[in-house]
Amino acid sequence: MKIVIAGGFGVGKTTTVSAISEILPLTTEALITSAGALIDPIAEVPAKTTTTVALDFGCITIDEEVKLYLFGTPGQDRFGFMWHDLIQGALGALVIVDTRRLDDSFPAVDYFEKTGVPFVIGINVFDGKLAHDLADVRWALAISDEVPLVTFDARFRLSVRDALLAVLRNTIDKNRIKTATR
Amino acid sequence: MSSADDPRYGGIDPDVSLLRPYLLTSGRTQPVDQTLEVEAQVLTSQLGAAAHDSLAFERRDIVELCRVTMSVAEVAAILGLHIGVARILVADLAELGYVIVRRPATQLNQDIDMIERVIRGLEAIS
Repeated sequence: MKIVIAGGFGVGKTTTVSAISEILPLTTEALITSAGALIDPIAEVPAKTTTTVALDFGCITIDEEVKLYLFGTPGQDRFGFMWHDLIQGALGALVIVDTRRLDDSFPAVDYFEKTGVPFVIGINVFDGKLAHDLADVRWALAISDEVPLVTFDARFRLSVRDALLAVLRNTIDKNRIKTATR
Repeated sequence: MSSADDPRYGGIDPDVSLLRPYLLTSGRTQPVDQTLEVEAQVLTSQLGAAAHDSLAFERRDIVELCRVTMSVAEVAAILGLHIGVARILVADLAELGYVIVRRPATQLNQDIDMIERVIRGLEAIS
């Protein structure tokens, strides 16, 4: 059982996992050193010699037999590990968005729209303030009405729990729609 | 202790292993079983426990660690391995029969009963 937590750098993926995980969130990562950075067309910062792709994960015990794993990752790396591997069998995804930096969310939103994995947009409300109106966010991200949009605060366990519940309920809804149209 | 933790390597970013990932995997970047999930549960078999002393480095560490069942992701994080490397090593050990891998059921995202069970579990969190 797993739910994928996606989103750009610094949107609060690690905080989200930490808030609800029973184990201290563990991070495993890849460091791509200078050789890779030299041929990296996006490495415009000359001092940049390493790139880290971290995979945060946490765990919630559901009952004696079932554990829910949470995996948070910003994207893909060059050592064969990608979202593609991670989303196989995922119950759904929570794509975290920081409304102050909407641009950072495009790759994740785009990716999940294409894969067909049911996902929910979770707007991480830092300090309880929304930088934009929800309808504006939906418009700016160009997401359809079928994608639920929820606000939550990554620092609080119950808030994260509710966002995860929204992900699971959305997966059930999408399954029902699929069955109904068969 | 990995080289990254060794004080003799002072001055180098301690988070950067001096070993390139492909050295740990005999040059491969894909596991023998390409579908191994990061949440698959890994447990050392009796065969693996018996072979412990004959194994080297990371393979030995994995066999040691998985005396208690844990996921591939945990193996990677606890041993400080890249997740892709951990998948390759675990798949190798499973091929040899040194670890038993319990894979998640397929099509879980269409199993409404199971999802509702997870919902109830989450709702119990306070």
